[in-house]
Amino acid sequence: MDEAVTARWFDAVGDILRQSHLWRPDQLTTYVESAAARLGLHTTVWVVDYEQVSLRALPVPGRPVPPPVPIDGTAMGRAFTLVRTRRADGEDRWWVPMVNGTDRLGVLEVAGPGAADPEFGSRCETLAGLIGHLITTTSARGDSIDRVRRTAPMSTAAEMLWRMLPPLTASCEHAVVSAVLQPCYDVGGDGFDYAIDDETAQLLILDAAGKGLPAGLACSVALAAVRARRRAGYGLLEQARAADEALAEQFPDARFVTAVLVELDLTDGRVRYLNAGHPAPLVLRAGKLIAELSGGRRLPLGLGGTGAEIGESVMRPGDRLLCYSDGVTEARTGTGERFGRDRLIEVTERHAGAELSAPEVLRRLAHEVMAQSAGEPDDDATLLLLEWSGAAVTRTVPTSGERE
Amino acid sequence: MTDERILTVGVEDLSSSTVLLCPAGEIDRDSQTVLHEAATAAFGRGADRLIIDLTEVTFCDSGGLSLFVRLDREAAARGGSLRLAAARPAVRAILDVVNFDRLMSLHETVAEAVQASRAEG
Repeated sequence: MDEAVTARWFDAVGDILRQSHLWRPDQLTTYVESAAARLGLHTTVWVVDYEQVSLRALPVPGRPVPPPVPIDGTAMGRAFTLVRTRRADGEDRWWVPMVNGTDRLGVLEVAGPGAADPEFGSRCETLAGLIGHLITTTSARGDSIDRVRRTAPMSTAAEMLWRMLPPLTASCEHAVVSAVLQPCYDVGGDGFDYAIDDETAQLLILDAAGKGLPAGLACSVALAAVRARRRAGYGLLEQARAADEALAEQFPDARFVTAVLVELDLTDGRVRYLNAGHPAPLVLRAGKLIAELSGGRRLPLGLGGTGAEIGESVMRPGDRLLCYSDGVTEARTGTGERFGRDRLIEVTERHAGAELSAPEVLRRLAHEVMAQSAGEPDDDATLLLLEWSGAAVTRTVPTSGERE
Repeated sequence: MTDERILTVGVEDLSSSTVLLCPAGEIDRDSQTVLHEAATAAFGRGADRLIIDLTEVTFCDSGGLSLFVRLDREAAARGGSLRLAAARPAVRAILDVVNFDRLMSLHETVAEAVQASRAEG
């Protein structure tokens, strides 16, 4: 390793970090570019749009903004989908996946003489990693970055909901949790949450009755009630009860929220769950549906859940747990044919079997559902996937090497 | 919106207290108002027992389910009840997912619902 080169990169990273305290979101590219320039490099920061269809460049003052690049069918898109650094054919140009943890934010494009440096790929990943984290912290200070990610205005309900959700993807040593939510600019009634603590993963998927802002409010109230009770250390029954009370108090018009609350013990695979009037989550193993979490049934949140009992099941390492809202299976074409559960299972296993990462499986799945509903979805569609597998975790982490 | 998605509601007063509502089509968040109006009119005539014949209902979304909850509460507040009858398998599956059998009476046939309603006294 060339120590002088390493020292220059260290200085560049230090420069970026020191300046980041006072960045406005619109200044991020300027500072990144000036640090990169001292390494003889040019950078472009590409962020993914909310619909996960294309990558869009953050503007650099004084430079024309390049047009959006589709994720499907482009080399840069492959760097994003596979979370793997790629070099452009015959060019001194690299596309480096940019994540926050394992949440895919976009791609850092680096151009310049790097081919001679055997460590170049991993140095670029360090830089992209830093920028990924800084995008996450800087975004909330202003609107500039988020504005680039939007191809359409958000509804009030969607704006509210997105601010309540955790990152779309999170991984720990043993498991990946990932989610996707459509239509992203007009979503209202669906939501999700998760928490991975100690050796337990907790998942929540929600679908509020109705549409628009009233549904968005009901979903938000239920999500916050469950989350608050969970963070206070209470179990599933208590979490659901808190949502019942909050909804009944806020919505005398009998607005209800269907939901599944799941708790998976990552040491022994024990699953405990409650199903409040929601489609039963699916357990998939080696391409096949092996179980539905069809127990633990109670009325939807907000209608009272007296007498509910916790459902129990067991998962094995390597299994996938797929939660979905009915907007997925009920999406339909002009001819009235619905997407259906069988197709959901088939498409999930086809993509997962092709060794795609959980977020990529869901991205493709969501696009197939949206294509099915021919541009005018009747309902929100949400997918929440947990993969309990070290190999699945590896697929979500950036790398410059070939994946096995 | 295509024609098949428009909801129509047939109404039959079985007695001064019991009204049979026969919606035909899809009950969704938009079309449910038609059924809501028919039910409100029935309550206005003094009925407190509603039977909804779902034979001709092909689909029901959360807006429709919400209406069932509101009508169930309204009927209960008047000392009566709401009964859902003769749901097709696709609609019955929707009612089963939300566990509405724990909230209101679901009947296989309209005759069974009418009989149960009469037995209320």
